[in-house]
Amino acid sequence: MMSCSAAIRQMPQPPHLSSRKPIFYRLFRADPVAVRSALMALRELLARSADEDAVNRLELALAEVLNNICQHGAGEPAARPTGSRQLAPMVHLCVARHVGGIACAITDDGIPLPIALLPPANCPARVQDKDMAEDVELLPEGGFGWHLIRDLTYSLCYFREGRRNLLAFTVPLGDAYRINCLPGQFSPNCRG
Amino acid sequence: MKLSMQTRDDRLHISVDEPRLDAAVATAFKDKVREVLSQTEQPVTLDLGQVLFMDSSGLGAVIAIFKTLPKTRELEICGITPNVERVFRLTRMDAVLPLRLPVQPTDLTVPGDRP
Repeated sequence: MMSCSAAIRQMPQPPHLSSRKPIFYRLFRADPVAVRSALMALRELLARSADEDAVNRLELALAEVLNNICQHGAGEPAARPTGSRQLAPMVHLCVARHVGGIACAITDDGIPLPIALLPPANCPARVQDKDMAEDVELLPEGGFGWHLIRDLTYSLCYFREGRRNLLAFTVPLGDAYRINCLPGQFSPNCRG
Repeated sequence: MKLSMQTRDDRLHISVDEPRLDAAVATAFKDKVREVLSQTEQPVTLDLGQVLFMDSSGLGAVIAIFKTLPKTRELEICGITPNVERVFRLTRMDAVLPLRLPVQPTDLTVPGDRP
């Protein structure tokens, strides 16, 4: 099985980026309290060294990815054999600092990610959806997670290896967010 | 999940006394606010001034609360911190929800903005 740090080493990146040391690593069962605890620990670690806006964007992108694993990683209860108990997936989270961005790799042993979620997709609600503005009943209460992830990250890639999912992406720092960020950039397999 | 309630000028003010509105508390938040709302028919202000982080679960809870209220009952969401405003903006919910956003400075270049 590929480790998180090995996955980060294999992420596409410009040759001048030399600092690839993982700065944060955590292993936990996917549940919202463990996610909160991991994100708060990461924030505390980065608060001293990274710009606040980038840390805020990183925290939101990771929250959305990890929440998805908590919600969907164990699969639908109805799809499991009768009487079987499905543990929440085990998550490895690895974050490394790069020039221009913060690279993240998340692996979990949950069910495969539906590939349809990954290419650019529309936000559940759009300003021009007049019906939605007029009829609050039509407002979606979920489905925002992947839209946010795509908006906040670049070099988003996913692959399944053995029994694990691996998702990797970079959250750009300050100016890079405006200049280099190409929304919707996606490679289904970044190992090249 | 900590909320504090006050009635001022015949208006119910609900203050969310939590720094994070995330998946760990979203359901409790939604249920508790709905319970409070069911006890009166006053117009409502939901103050998120202490919330420094909100994810899409928190957003979903806010939308669910908004949908609970009858159209005739006024809701205003105020005290929106920049990090929470980002979630409303990126999901386009800023155009739909009754947000009272802080007055913007004249320079509108926000680091998180994309042209």
